[in-house]
Amino acid sequence: MRRANVISGAVLTVFSLVMLFVIIPWQIDPAPKGMISTRLVPNLMMIAIAAMSVVLIVTNLKSANGATDPSPLTLADLRVVLRIGGLFAAVIALYLLIGPLPAGFALVFGGLLLLGERRPVMLAGMPVLLLTALWLLFYKVLGTAIV
Amino acid sequence: MEYLALGFVDVLNPATMFWVAAGVTIGYVLGAIPGLGKATGVAVAIPLTFYLSPVAALGMLIGIAKGSAAGSAVSAILLNTPGEPSSAPTALDGYPLARQGKAQKALKMGLFASVIGDFVSTLILIVLAAPLARYALLIGPVELTAILLFSLTFIGGLSGGSMLKGLIAAAFGIFFATIGIEGETFIPRLTFGLLELDDGISLVPMAIGMLAVAEMMIQAGNLKKLDTETEALAQSSKPEDRSVTRAEWRRCAPVIARGTLIGSLIGILPGLGASVGSFLSYGMTRRLSRTPEKFGTGMIEGVAAAESADNAVVPSSLVPLFALGIPGSVIAAILIAAFILHGLTPGPLMFQQQPRLVADVYAAMLFASLVMLIIGYTCQGLFAKIILVPMRLIIPGVLLLCCVGAYMETSSIFSIYVMLFFTAFGYLARKLDFSFVTFLIGFVIGPKLEFSFRQSIQLLDHNTVNLLHHPIAIVFLVLTAATLWWIGWWKRPQTHCAPGERGSTPETDIARNSKGGS
Repeated sequence: MRRANVISGAVLTVFSLVMLFVIIPWQIDPAPKGMISTRLVPNLMMIAIAAMSVVLIVTNLKSANGATDPSPLTLADLRVVLRIGGLFAAVIALYLLIGPLPAGFALVFGGLLLLGERRPVMLAGMPVLLLTALWLLFYKVLGTAIV
Repeated sequence: MEYLALGFVDVLNPATMFWVAAGVTIGYVLGAIPGLGKATGVAVAIPLTFYLSPVAALGMLIGIAKGSAAGSAVSAILLNTPGEPSSAPTALDGYPLARQGKAQKALKMGLFASVIGDFVSTLILIVLAAPLARYALLIGPVELTAILLFSLTFIGGLSGGSMLKGLIAAAFGIFFATIGIEGETFIPRLTFGLLELDDGISLVPMAIGMLAVAEMMIQAGNLKKLDTETEALAQSSKPEDRSVTRAEWRRCAPVIARGTLIGSLIGILPGLGASVGSFLSYGMTRRLSRTPEKFGTGMIEGVAAAESADNAVVPSSLVPLFALGIPGSVIAAILIAAFILHGLTPGPLMFQQQPRLVADVYAAMLFASLVMLIIGYTCQGLFAKIILVPMRLIIPGVLLLCCVGAYMETSSIFSIYVMLFFTAFGYLARKLDFSFVTFLIGFVIGPKLEFSFRQSIQLLDHNTVNLLHHPIAIVFLVLTAATLWWIGWWKRPQTHCAPGERGSTPETDIARNSKGGS
């Protein structure tokens, strides 16, 4: 975790400095004269994050003792992130191009497929079952439309 | 008292009773499934309550929170995989009991301890919140700023393994709360020209992304481990002893009473959370036992101690929320959104402005305790079967519900984008041990903190010396500094530390337990 702490500390330091000197001045106009600055709290938070991130880097560099330091993010984790991220990208594309129903179907079907389900009855039945249940809950029980 | 009777009149009608019962059932199932805790359940369910009456909606959400706190014992006992981290000590003795064929006994004791802890803690909430709120009304902006700062430091310091990371997460939460149009000057802040961000980031899609979707991604990476444990259970589940005997009740009654007291006290203190309560209660019961060496081998007292404290934390964690408007836990932070949505702004003024609705909430909470006992007792066998469903079949359904829940907040795809952004944020926070609990609480109290801070600057006339006229604020600022020093010392890196010792946290204890340590 020490290496991950040093890297995340460095990323957070850079992020907070960019926010402090570029994004906040660009995205928040100064307050009218006589009023407390609208940038006050965002600036304070970014200063605090920058300072604490530097401390995080320093303390982790100081305590490094050469022991094995496994990464908290493994290759398997990255694979899962990419798969589910790709699934959501496809689902959003379907929603924008066709509509919510195929998007919902694809989310459940694709999710099952990505997680290793191979039984055709499950792959076809689960999306139908879940979407029907949602329709019943919202349109019949609660009496409202989702979209 | 008069309002409480009216509250029961409002709650005890078929529609409300149905939704409370539905909430408890859903909560029980969510709690039983590893990874789907109360916060996830409530976050996903908030949009589903948009079209219910306020009493039914709040009753249902409270039912989910209470049900899942009790349900998390099911997987802890049967699978040795706690539904929530706070049920980890339940697994220490519950799982050996299940392996001895006494799963039903452990499940029943877990349920009884949960219901007693929850019910008594709800009574404590009812007795304490209103009187505390009267004092809270005397607090000015300077004092409020100091109290909020202290609470956030306390929460940030104790959540997760590193104080520094907890405080960074809290600062991020406050920072994200500043996005949107500023309340005094009406100047947009960090909106990048997006109209959807003018009102700020909505809590519901953020919470769904950080809690539910991020957790599902973590679980998707653990599929093999969970499936192996499920298969092992299917082979070893042969219950012989199905009930709690009178002798066991006699041994467990004082344990439950102590666990309830510990859980209630821990719940009132912001930031400590259910994990601290259940570990503390379990540790104390083991220490006070005549046979401490038998703990971990299937002592029913271990289950009673952990579950009573775990469930007592949920209602009492609403004391700081109701009395001061400060969420002491992630569930309280998420419930704020639901309360506001249904016309009840948590804080000291709600007792004056909405006494009837407050009484309704109290009545719903007490009723939910009763429902929890009935549903838990009658459906325990069914819930035990539900956790045998493989996670690969559960995750896609949860993802669909998350999308529907986030979408319903604004009926716009933008909410899905927000959800996904905070999914990535929450996923990294979990993996890198930055407390998402502190982040969410920082986000929720951020607007209040900024508002009172700005008021304080004006009241103090931009001169810190004027702070001397606010002794309560000084006390809390000194407490903040003392907390930073104390937690920093307590959490210094240690090479070896046993559960409950300095340097160890519930999170590190859970990690140790999951690796087979004691």
